[in-house]
Amino acid sequence: MMQDTAVQPSKSAGRRLDWAAGPWAKTNWITLSVVILVMLALPWAVSQLSIGRFILHLFILFFVWSIVAESWNLILGVGGIFSFAQIALFAIGGITTGALAKHLGWNPWISLWLAPITATIAALIIGLPSLRLRGPYVVLLTLAFAELVRNYHSQGPTWIAEGGYGLRYVPKLGFEELFGRPLDRIAYYYVAFVLFAIATYVIWRIFYSPIGTSFRALRDSETYAISRGVDPFRFKLLLFALSAFFTGLAGGFYVHYNGNQSPTILSFSVTITLLAGIVLGGWGTFWGPILGTGIMIVLPELLREVDVFRNMAVGVTLALLAVFAPGGLFPLIVDGVRKLVRPSRKLQEE
Amino acid sequence: MEKLFQAIYGGILYGSIYGLMAIGLTLIWGSLRMLNLAHGSMYLVGGYVAWAALNQWALPALPSFALGVIAAALMGLIIQVLLINRILGRSEFFNAAMIATVGAAIVIDSAMLLIFGPRVKQMPPVFQGQFKFAGVVITYQGLLIVVVALISFALLWLFLSRSRHGLSIQAVSQQMDAARLMGIPTVTTFMIVMTISGALAGLAGVLLSSVFYLSPTAGFNPMVKALVVTIFGGLGSVKGTIWAAYVIGLVEAFLQVYFGAGAALPGLFLFMIVMLVIRPSGLFGLGEAQRL
Repeated sequence: MMQDTAVQPSKSAGRRLDWAAGPWAKTNWITLSVVILVMLALPWAVSQLSIGRFILHLFILFFVWSIVAESWNLILGVGGIFSFAQIALFAIGGITTGALAKHLGWNPWISLWLAPITATIAALIIGLPSLRLRGPYVVLLTLAFAELVRNYHSQGPTWIAEGGYGLRYVPKLGFEELFGRPLDRIAYYYVAFVLFAIATYVIWRIFYSPIGTSFRALRDSETYAISRGVDPFRFKLLLFALSAFFTGLAGGFYVHYNGNQSPTILSFSVTITLLAGIVLGGWGTFWGPILGTGIMIVLPELLREVDVFRNMAVGVTLALLAVFAPGGLFPLIVDGVRKLVRPSRKLQEE
Repeated sequence: MEKLFQAIYGGILYGSIYGLMAIGLTLIWGSLRMLNLAHGSMYLVGGYVAWAALNQWALPALPSFALGVIAAALMGLIIQVLLINRILGRSEFFNAAMIATVGAAIVIDSAMLLIFGPRVKQMPPVFQGQFKFAGVVITYQGLLIVVVALISFALLWLFLSRSRHGLSIQAVSQQMDAARLMGIPTVTTFMIVMTISGALAGLAGVLLSSVFYLSPTAGFNPMVKALVVTIFGGLGSVKGTIWAAYVIGLVEAFLQVYFGAGAALPGLFLFMIVMLVIRPSGLFGLGEAQRL
């Protein structure tokens, strides 16, 4: 399904696309394979450590939330649509596969693939009315939708809410029985990594494709984009669907990794933390949200030493970054590296 | 009939509370064009400072409430001077301001946690007692909240329409560039706006902490509700915000009385989704001019 929706519009624009202009034309295969090999070998090295299990848990969290951040960045940063329903879509994915596996006895490996589909359908449903709205009013609509989902998740029928606990005792992916104690986490790591890699690759291709350019055009000047033949109806719905697909998948994986899903996942603070990660890394850039999510996961753990001041330090960091690097960290890093590596190029551009 | 009065009273009470919280947000949006996500923290500062003054320093009620409001107003001013003033006029202002205020909110909330501890606190009501009117139990505290809210709305309206600074706030929110050309000091105006909105949030915190409990995360829900009210009323419109506060309060109270407490929130949000589909720029929003 994903493939279909992603490819079709690009076909219509394909004639004008210079394929060699995309960043994939200059992929550095050596770097890429080294990175992938390191990521594949990493869990074996890390699990030797005494806190290895916990570090692997952090990695899995990073993969899952990076997928959500990337997808959210697609609609928020690239599309400029202030949708706050991303965590609700994440939860819808979790509810779908969790309820199917728990109550109907489906194999989690099969029900997992229905999670992105329901999330996409839900995104299309909220996408339709929000097409009429602009700017902050989309915030209200999507926030209301998220609140509805949270309410349903905590006070709805028993098979979803269980009296406020949400979904509990959801079947896991079965690695515990298969591999035993130390290895199961490594297996989860690999699944999460593969999902993350696929999502990142697809979003990367979309980001630099004519579709991505159309999204940006609609964000920067809707009237101009329309006059150049970008259909806002089709592209905005596509944007909603695309950003929901992988979010739902991540939500599905997350519920089978944790074995439960509490309605607290829909609390506003989760949304704010994720948003902070995206803006911290660099809103609208490709690598920024991934970097920001990593920081938002690692930073609180690093500050565990100063326990009581941990939250405060996170807050101060955010405030300082907002003042001194409002575009996010990623553009800052890119600028720094460029200045170091090619100082003359900048002068030529000027 | 009894139910009807109950719903109307509840709606007016909720509306007053939402209005107090939301006006600060709408003033900030109107003049600064930013979403102040530290608004709930100013509510918290107001509540905690008043609580401490009342219970720990054993001050009488009125001065300790005034202290709470002043502390919250100062907090707003500090955020403006330390953070927002430094990022004014940048191209990424919207994002930067949002993250700066999130950071400030986290800092303030965790400071409250450090100082006052995680245990919930409740402020004793100023006026004990209640009376029955048409079968509805009305507490004096509830009445106080309504009256104080109405007085503050009236004072705010006088300030905005009569005083120099109020007029400059209006000018800045209508046309910032024109206001600046007319010699209005925009930075000072922003500082006044932040102080006022901090004071209003603090006032809500002071009044509400005798109804709800006070905990380091208590500022969150009022802020989200205020956000909803603000956007619902049409961003930046003070009149719209007050109307929206009472409309939302009444809708919530009616749903609660006639369909049970569980139906209130989902019903409210469904109502809002429907309303947004019908009126895409809020109750009183003018619709933003399309930029080319």
